[in-house]
Amino acid sequence: MSSRFIHSVSCNLLPGLVLSLVASAVHAAGWPVYGGDPGGRHYSTLADINRNNVDDLQVAWVFRSGDSARDAAAMDNTSTQSTPILLPEAAGSSLVYCTPFNRVIALDPGSGEQRWDFDPQINRGGDRPFRCRGVAYAQDAQSAAAEHCQHRIYLSTHDRHLWALDALDGRPCAGFGNSGSVALYGAAEFAPGDVSNSSPPVIANGVVISGSTVIDFTRAQTPRGTVQAFNAHSGKPIWEFDPLAGHAGSGSANVWAPLSVDAEQGLVFLPTSAPSPDYYGAGRVGDSRYANSVVALELATGKLRWHFQHVRHDLWDYDTPAQPILFDWQRDGVSVPALVQLTKQGLVFALNRLTGESLWEMTEQPVPPSQVPGETAALSQPKPIAPPPLLDSFLMPHDAWGLTPVDRADCRKQLESLHNLGLFTPISEAPTLMYPGSLGGPNWGGGALLAERGTLLINVNNIAFSGRLVPLAAEAFSGNGPPTAGKRFRVVMQGTPYAAEIGSLQSFLGLPCNPPPWGKLIAVDLYGGRIIWETALGSVHEMGPVPVPFHIEWGTPNLGGGIATAGGLFFIAATMDRQLRAFDVDSGATLWRYTLPVDATATPMTYRYQGRQYVVVNAGGHHMFGRGSGDYLYAFGLPP
Amino acid sequence: MTRIIPAVLMLLLYAALGHTTDNNTPDSDATDSKAIDSRVMDSHTTEILVTDHLGNTLPTAMVTASPLVAPKADLSDNGYPPHGVTNQAAVTVTRFTDAQGRVSLPSLQEQHIRVRAQGYRDATVTPAAGVSTLTVALDAMTPEQYIASFPSNVWLSQLTFGGDAELKKTFQLNCAFCHQQASPFMRNERTVEQWLAVFSRMNSYGARLPGDDHQQIAEHLQRELRELRENPQTVPEPKPWEAFLSEIDMTEWPIGDGFSQMHDFLLHPNGFIYVGDNLFDRLYEVDPATGQYTVYKVPHRPGDKIGGILGNRFTVFPKMDNAMGVHSFAVSPRDGNIFITPSMQQALLEFNPQTKAFTLHEMDAGYYPHTIRIDEQDRVWFTLALSSQVARFERDTAQFTLYDLPARSVKEWLILKSLPLLFSIDPENRPQPAPDREGTGLPMPYGIDVAPDGRIWVARLYANDLAVIDPQTDQVSMVDFPYAGPRRLRADAQGKLWVVAFQDSLLVKYDPDNGEFSEYPLPVLNEIPYALNVDRQRGVVWVNGNQSDTLLSFDIATEQWRVYPLPRQRFFTRDVEVDEEDGAVYTSNSHFPSWQTEGGQPTLLRITPLSP
Repeated sequence: MSSRFIHSVSCNLLPGLVLSLVASAVHAAGWPVYGGDPGGRHYSTLADINRNNVDDLQVAWVFRSGDSARDAAAMDNTSTQSTPILLPEAAGSSLVYCTPFNRVIALDPGSGEQRWDFDPQINRGGDRPFRCRGVAYAQDAQSAAAEHCQHRIYLSTHDRHLWALDALDGRPCAGFGNSGSVALYGAAEFAPGDVSNSSPPVIANGVVISGSTVIDFTRAQTPRGTVQAFNAHSGKPIWEFDPLAGHAGSGSANVWAPLSVDAEQGLVFLPTSAPSPDYYGAGRVGDSRYANSVVALELATGKLRWHFQHVRHDLWDYDTPAQPILFDWQRDGVSVPALVQLTKQGLVFALNRLTGESLWEMTEQPVPPSQVPGETAALSQPKPIAPPPLLDSFLMPHDAWGLTPVDRADCRKQLESLHNLGLFTPISEAPTLMYPGSLGGPNWGGGALLAERGTLLINVNNIAFSGRLVPLAAEAFSGNGPPTAGKRFRVVMQGTPYAAEIGSLQSFLGLPCNPPPWGKLIAVDLYGGRIIWETALGSVHEMGPVPVPFHIEWGTPNLGGGIATAGGLFFIAATMDRQLRAFDVDSGATLWRYTLPVDATATPMTYRYQGRQYVVVNAGGHHMFGRGSGDYLYAFGLPP
Repeated sequence: MTRIIPAVLMLLLYAALGHTTDNNTPDSDATDSKAIDSRVMDSHTTEILVTDHLGNTLPTAMVTASPLVAPKADLSDNGYPPHGVTNQAAVTVTRFTDAQGRVSLPSLQEQHIRVRAQGYRDATVTPAAGVSTLTVALDAMTPEQYIASFPSNVWLSQLTFGGDAELKKTFQLNCAFCHQQASPFMRNERTVEQWLAVFSRMNSYGARLPGDDHQQIAEHLQRELRELRENPQTVPEPKPWEAFLSEIDMTEWPIGDGFSQMHDFLLHPNGFIYVGDNLFDRLYEVDPATGQYTVYKVPHRPGDKIGGILGNRFTVFPKMDNAMGVHSFAVSPRDGNIFITPSMQQALLEFNPQTKAFTLHEMDAGYYPHTIRIDEQDRVWFTLALSSQVARFERDTAQFTLYDLPARSVKEWLILKSLPLLFSIDPENRPQPAPDREGTGLPMPYGIDVAPDGRIWVARLYANDLAVIDPQTDQVSMVDFPYAGPRRLRADAQGKLWVVAFQDSLLVKYDPDNGEFSEYPLPVLNEIPYALNVDRQRGVVWVNGNQSDTLLSFDIATEQWRVYPLPRQRFFTRDVEVDEEDGAVYTSNSHFPSWQTEGGQPTLLRITPLSP
């Protein structure tokens, strides 16, 4: 072997090798960040629990946060979405998570006993639902060993504050911001709830970055979707990024889904949402760049590196809902730093994460024009030539589904009355099919990646919606608040000539008009660009007027994600049947399931502690599902 | 293999130039503004030099000028011009660079310039006011972009359907009625189930893809398109654009919108062009001299519904307003009145271009008035595509005579005879015969023409035969057509019949004197030719190239082809008309739906020789 060859091999392989070693070390330690790793792969190298023994899985411990007892009246306006993280040994080896009211709780990972908690006493004004998907951890390089807050937990709260807490005792870090917290954009300028937070911040290279949630639907001009970066030690602001800077007549394009970071490349990846107002774009002419995009910024400066916009001039509320998944694309002997982005519209985009270029041929799909006066829809939308869409977005009258001929006929009649030209049919004053609707497709649960073979496991919703724009001058119209299960959502879009009326497409029996499964789990071969298998996700046995004592696996709407393990398993709850399931990643077969007290609309996580592998899921229900709430954290393990 | 070599050379050239990759294809919104040099002078024309990024001149680059801002138009009738209102079209002009990479265009004030060349990324430029010369440099495509930019036909040429040629023809016959079949829109990876859903949806719109073939076609498409995607180097290059293109001028008149379908049209001796919007029952009267157009709404009887007697198969479409279904046009040699087939009614429409009045001539039999011609005796002839008949309308008596074309089987005879009974049933509950490969029950007389000797020739698309009617004797004779898919036909000055064989990708000549057929392979791969016309004065046959974004001309004397690349991708054309005076040829962009055409806009297109 010549020295030149050795040099070449070293240059090509070492970064990957180093990354692999780092990744392995991280994984072996547990689940240190929200998505399993900073790239959100939702993957664990642990294999103690595997296909052969998963059937023996049992409850190891159960922790209750106390929210249900303490805040019973407010629980109906919560959704429990937290994925705990396991702190490294130096930081106390605690299992740390947050409750919907942003309480942060540290537990003993082996017993579930509480070690500390912190309540930021958030401002609960406004009617925006409460949720908290998790917290972030980092060791502060500027703190001395054993100094308070050398190991920190970061939390973005509903009332727009970024907190830094000591990982060992949960007390605020005095040197960070104003006695442990900094006010984020919108904390003071807007009414409570107009801007809030749901996803955890991300931290890398001494920079902590927070996105936001922004009020949907109700206004033409909502608050900006400003992303902020702070010094992780001091809380001093470093940079801000407004995805719609320079665009008047609009707002939002905020980053409510989890962010990803590539510390080595010094990049942070933002999944931006739709611009306001969601369903009417006459006042925001053009593409609304950088809304509905993946945006790569330099961590240190916030400077734009690249962006990829997956929806131009959004008229469907097709936010970028999921954490960008970072991995090394291995194909034809070539390794490319890659990013895969799931979208509500059911497309899987694989991009070079250094440049934003698509790793599959990108096609421009011609899409229908709008019928709304003054509205100019985009002429085309991007679509990768592969993998295939996760959903077929057409639903023809002859496809109508019903339990009986009568409700099927009802659905068929409804479908015949809807405008429907497939994906990206613009909503208009006439009832229009929205399939998928703003629920997705995929949503914030994201996907789990078996990187070595390029298999991506994705849970998707498969529920058709319909909607229309109601001219405000023509009809007396009053809004009825955010969408909930089975109800049509009616909202006045202030600053526009319209209100929007949106709802799931269902028969008089309350059953969906599209054929089941209504929730799916799909395995995608990213390198082959094909679907490997798909299976129903969820049972409808509890969704009728009276629960039935056996499972009916027709799939259910689902919120929350799943995780894959080296044990050949994929764990997911997310469904409207209170189940936590384990699937075989190769076949999609259900290998194990457990009935929780309430739905668990959160992504599970797994770790090994003192020689035992645990799978943990937060179970507390979701206000949109309307199926009850709780404050449970369940841990499962093999018998000791 | 020889076709692949230029592609390989292209890739090597690309590698040598050391370009970086990006994802801009000719269809992408994202374009480069690459005007690198310009001079401001007082001039009525602008000269544009097109080069590659190294400064090498690029011949046969397509340069299209369009208004920066479309003229204001009255579109107050559901997004369309009201009846009788005149608007100005946003006229676009396309020319090609010469051997020195130069092209002259009319004054480019307030114009947007798009420059396109094979193997290069589009560039767009907005020249400053008064600019008289402009240099535009194009960046080479990446190898991936280059192959992806190929038109549908070359991709389609590589699909074999497992070697089942008949299955491929069945697919082409039934699926290329409306769409290009291997555009990026179709090449996207789909599961077999997703393909099956596509077929089911298309058949609900009126396609006739046999149910027995759905599964295997879905499997072939899924597998073979994936194989092509994984081995794109096997896709042959499209025909290079040729030097003669610098001698022509293309003008487009955008009319209607993305929901319109500009089907057939007519060059009228009064200088106007009459274009029918098949989906909105509107007649567009276009003045090619000024670019102004006036719209006349075709009337229908009270109570007529969308879809007419056929019923509305497009209930899920946001916009459609066609109780009549304006289809084909012919002009009376006597008084210039225009006769129009309303395919959704048992009727014939007459339009007086002087008074702008419509007259409806109702029929009591026959279904789906289709293509129409008028003979020298001012008799109106048209095919009845569903009932397998030909109609003759005598203007003096306003009487219709129907000629039955023979059924191919007892079953077909029964189906055809039962049509009145079937049509007496409400469209929503009307049973439909299940489609089969032979189109049983649907021989579908389609194209029609009047030969110089006065005989009427008809092509039956599904029956693969020709019918000839002698008006002197009313005798109907049939001629077997030895190719698949005789669609539209025309007679030349010598009385020879020119026919496009739709799914056989051929131009065919039939000599009625000796009964001989001659076939002429098209100059582009796997084209699925929809229609044709004959410039009798110049002896040129013009053929629609709707899979290759081209129009094709065939010189009868020299048997030489020319290929005219069209200025929009997915330029699906269904009719060709020739101006015998100057040799200009017209076609319309009638993709269904139109919004799938590049730019989402239907247009009327004229190709004119720069010097006669």
